[in-house]
Amino acid sequence: MKKFAVRGAIAAAALCGVIHPRAVMAHGFEGDRFFPPTIETDDPFAVDELSIPTVSLFHNPPDGGSTTREIDIGGEFDKELLPGWDLEFSDVFTLLHPKVGESTNGWQNFSLGSKLELIQNADHEFIFSIGCDWDIGGTGGRSIGANSFSTFTPTVFFGKGLGDLPDSVPMLKPFAITGEVGEDLPTEAANPNALEVGLALEYSLLYLEENVKDTGMPHPFRDMIPLVEFTMTNPQNRGGGPATGNIDPGVLYESRYFQLGAEAVIPMNRHTGPNVGFIVNVNIFFDDMWPKIFGHPLFGGGPNLAENNPGGSAK
Amino acid sequence: MKKLLLALLCCLAGLDGAYAHAFLDHADPRVGSVIHASPAEVKIWFTEKLILPFSDVKVVDAAGNEIDKRDKRLDPANGALLIVSVPALKPGRYTVTWRATAVDTHVTHGTFTFAVSP
Repeated sequence: MKKFAVRGAIAAAALCGVIHPRAVMAHGFEGDRFFPPTIETDDPFAVDELSIPTVSLFHNPPDGGSTTREIDIGGEFDKELLPGWDLEFSDVFTLLHPKVGESTNGWQNFSLGSKLELIQNADHEFIFSIGCDWDIGGTGGRSIGANSFSTFTPTVFFGKGLGDLPDSVPMLKPFAITGEVGEDLPTEAANPNALEVGLALEYSLLYLEENVKDTGMPHPFRDMIPLVEFTMTNPQNRGGGPATGNIDPGVLYESRYFQLGAEAVIPMNRHTGPNVGFIVNVNIFFDDMWPKIFGHPLFGGGPNLAENNPGGSAK
Repeated sequence: MKKLLLALLCCLAGLDGAYAHAFLDHADPRVGSVIHASPAEVKIWFTEKLILPFSDVKVVDAAGNEIDKRDKRLDPANGALLIVSVPALKPGRYTVTWRATAVDTHVTHGTFTFAVSP
């Protein structure tokens, strides 16, 4: 499966190379708002993205056992095929180092997803999307606990910037929230369905300096977006156990060609774990690095360059 | 992993010049500022050079009337500086709306206000 995926990526890259770009519009923009790709919560945009690597470090107690240090190194590649519709490929390499016993490592199940942008409102910095993720059973290593069965997760996504708040509360305008709500549907009946919730509350200093108030804040601070992410998995049947999740405060730094992100991973309850973890992420803006290849749908679409309506919708 | 790197190299082969989205770096009058004398021009410095025909800037008054002189232009010495002239501005609040198309055709939008005080 991985060989197939890599060959597919090469074929896609070759195909992309023969498509001459029209207008380029990637990143997650809605009106004046740039929605950054968040680390734990998938953003609502169906655009080209290359997130590699995402490295997380946890100390998890296995069920009733001693502490295990877990390091996850993940990557994701998203490609917009048609305007507002993308395909997403991701996988994670996991290293497990138990305090007692032998270390092991391996790939998690390969994941294939797709997302479709349904509603966009530039004036209100709002977007709503739907998608589905397919965690392909049996493609990961059994030694690190990858499931032998597949799980489908239909999901709804949203993003809302607060730039349309009244001018009487200007300092609230840089706030934005993105979120996703999905349902894990395993193909093996013995396993529980689970509600997946992810939220990200952001305060964009870029937005503050560009649209609200030039405070004179120097770089690199004005290029930062402090945020808090919240993720939760709540099994709903078949003895799935209590809900688990994390609260992740952190910051994103936006540079010209990439985004750096770092967050603490704080367990939301004792069922999640007793220890704080960390996660760092590099998101490469390859639409900026290779604008003739990325940053536009593979087939059709793209904004009209002749459009002359500043402030209008970007897509 | 080697094959993944190979795929990335395939992408690198298509590298033909690196540019980026044009973000507002700073403006004159400054974003959200209150000034005491009317400016002759509104200037916006971007982080990237722009394509003028596909970029725009408008200045409107509190009533929503466009009051700029519709003479948008790039500074001849700085392709990232977008300028539009304005008449003598009366005291009040003004909104600047811009659309920036960078030289690699990335499009960004933005809006900010400034006020002229008596």
